[in-house]
Amino acid sequence: MSFRKFGQNDVIVNTMRTHPKSEFFIYDGKVYYNDKPNQSGAFSSQVLNVPPGHISLYEYNIDRAAGNNPLIYPFVTKGSSNIGFRTMTTTEYVTGFEYGDIMTGSYPFSASITREYMVQAGTRSVDVNSSTGETFAGAPTYPHFYALKNRLNFYGTLSEHYKVSSSYGDKSLQTINLLSVPSIFFGDKIDPGTVSLKWYLTGTLIGELKDEKRNGELIQTGPYGSTGSGSVGGVVLYNEGFMLLTGSWALSDVPLHLVSGSATAVSASWRYFGAGALDNVTTGSTSTTYRSASFNMSFKGTNDIQTVTMFAHARRGEVNYSNNPTFLQYGQTQVENTSSIVYEENSSRQIYNSVSSSYAGYDADFERQVYISRVAIYDENKNLLGIATLSDPVLKKEDEDLSFKIKLDI
Amino acid sequence: MAVTTFENLASSDITTTRTLLHESIPLTGTIISGTYSDLNIKNYTHGQFQSVYDYPYLSSSANHIFDISIGFDESSPLSGATGNLQQDKKINMYNQFSQVLLGYTGSTNQVRKFELDLTLDNSGVMNESLFLNFSRLITKDQIKKGTVSVSLGTGSWADPFGNVKTLTDASASATGGTLNTLGGDYGLLYSTDNVARGLVFYESGVVVLSTSSFDGVTDFYSASAGTSSIAQMFVSSSITASCDALRHRVQNISFNNSTEINSTIYFCRVPHNDYNHSANPTYLSASTIRVKSVNTDTPIAYITTIGLYSSDNELLAVAKLSEPLRKDPTNELTLRVRLDY
Repeated sequence: MSFRKFGQNDVIVNTMRTHPKSEFFIYDGKVYYNDKPNQSGAFSSQVLNVPPGHISLYEYNIDRAAGNNPLIYPFVTKGSSNIGFRTMTTTEYVTGFEYGDIMTGSYPFSASITREYMVQAGTRSVDVNSSTGETFAGAPTYPHFYALKNRLNFYGTLSEHYKVSSSYGDKSLQTINLLSVPSIFFGDKIDPGTVSLKWYLTGTLIGELKDEKRNGELIQTGPYGSTGSGSVGGVVLYNEGFMLLTGSWALSDVPLHLVSGSATAVSASWRYFGAGALDNVTTGSTSTTYRSASFNMSFKGTNDIQTVTMFAHARRGEVNYSNNPTFLQYGQTQVENTSSIVYEENSSRQIYNSVSSSYAGYDADFERQVYISRVAIYDENKNLLGIATLSDPVLKKEDEDLSFKIKLDI
Repeated sequence: MAVTTFENLASSDITTTRTLLHESIPLTGTIISGTYSDLNIKNYTHGQFQSVYDYPYLSSSANHIFDISIGFDESSPLSGATGNLQQDKKINMYNQFSQVLLGYTGSTNQVRKFELDLTLDNSGVMNESLFLNFSRLITKDQIKKGTVSVSLGTGSWADPFGNVKTLTDASASATGGTLNTLGGDYGLLYSTDNVARGLVFYESGVVVLSTSSFDGVTDFYSASAGTSSIAQMFVSSSITASCDALRHRVQNISFNNSTEINSTIYFCRVPHNDYNHSANPTYLSASTIRVKSVNTDTPIAYITTIGLYSSDNELLAVAKLSEPLRKDPTNELTLRVRLDY
């Protein structure tokens, strides 16, 4: 086998930008992702073994359940490299296992959107110094809000609506509806200008927020003439995958039960958008009026994929030999002489004539030709890095030039 | 936040480790034949092998788990038998597997034959074989040695699991009981009577079963006792029909796979007299350090992040601590940063 060096223009590295679309529909405490219905299997009630609206990483335990079709699970032996499962606490790792013990994990790993309803988001507990009796601010009631404060202020240059404290109010004192989107759904960032949040009441659209200015402001754009149309109902953190909704105006006068554990009916507003998205809001924790509400969230992600394109050339007069044993005629002696001092191969072995004849019982004239089935890529030290296999072997005649385009996502 | 000081990593501060992550893979016979009424079985027009999925394969959720095929060597007594169906394909299939897994031998470069031992000396030759070729999805880097178990029904066609033969590679381990060939390490599959009845190629993820497991079964592939032994199946049945018959007799397959996790560990040492100050804008208030009450207090910083830089000061990676660590001139820290790949 001979090696060919790639020329200056034979290797191209470029970036392909993709925009995967995600759509979530939230109704009656369930989330539906990209309109995928619940699929039950022969062994488990969910084929992917994750609840509706979730992504299953690896999609591994398909229709498996303990019993007749047990689950695949990972395990690792505790060793000096200190590798364990991330779900395990340091204390569990140190005290729960001896070196050599097997630590098991579980599949599937899943992800979905979540909603957090934060009444007066900046609330902190009040702690008391037991010796002096003094009171001081304790742990935040909503730590996620505190975690996002710096980012909100950072994006304040895009819009005043981001800022924790601005002329639009102090978010610490407001009720915030936080929607969290894991990055597996959008990749590098949410594509600005693609976010749409729709509020439905008994199937009728009563409000839609869009980031049509592409600056993170979620502006109510519909339905035409609706209360609050043109107002900013919240902001979206594109890079981090969070949406904070603060719009408190009533989208409808119909009283609904949308707060977990509360008997008080409220009017539809952006504060309650997404009620039921893994936030413990269910019919059981509210009332049957909750079923009148449904929500749709859609956006596009941004995901960059680096690709390497390589052009491998088989020039005329080159790449005309094969090491495949069937390249030579069958039944020829390979070794002419062999002894303790001589090893001589048969130098007059004939190449098999693989030229196709158009007539039965007639052999076409011999021509040098090979069928190329694979292209191998090596590094400068001739280490094999990868093999590109053709779907069908390509005929290469001696007087032909061929180029193979090999594309690799990295 | 701008970094103002860098600490060079000495070669003794960097070490590498390798850890093996395993997965337990149970494949129950009811998936292979039964539950999905063969909607998870894909046959091809070429008829050379059959694919088994873990769910009806028309569903996008389905994963390919393994392929089945059969074959025999051209020197087998079955070769050339009258009425042999797909003989060339069966011989080609045997040769294909043996070429890839065992390679060639002798001055004439003959394709090796599968043997029920670890010697490859042309003894204990397995002329007829059943192949299970597992998907890389479930074998990962390799099948873990000593964990393979294949339970085969050797009862009648009507009640195949009335009698079960379980083959295991219990004699194989990471340190022995295997032979290295072109296709990687292979071990032997023994039945409980300590007779070798198959091979398992760990890196390639291929199980090669001998027909000897089914010796004495006269209704292997149909209810016609006496006329449907496994040898008769190799002659008169297509590869696809033979795969169907084998699936009918697979009760369970299980093994553990292995994935190598390579890690580089960087020991980042923080001396007592360094890193006691922060360039974070919030560190100062009105030009005084926030965490100091009086100017004679020792400086205090809280370490939250470690940046790994190249030799020309390009930021390559960032490691975040789960919680900030207090650093002052009275303590020294060694932070262990692990990079898995």
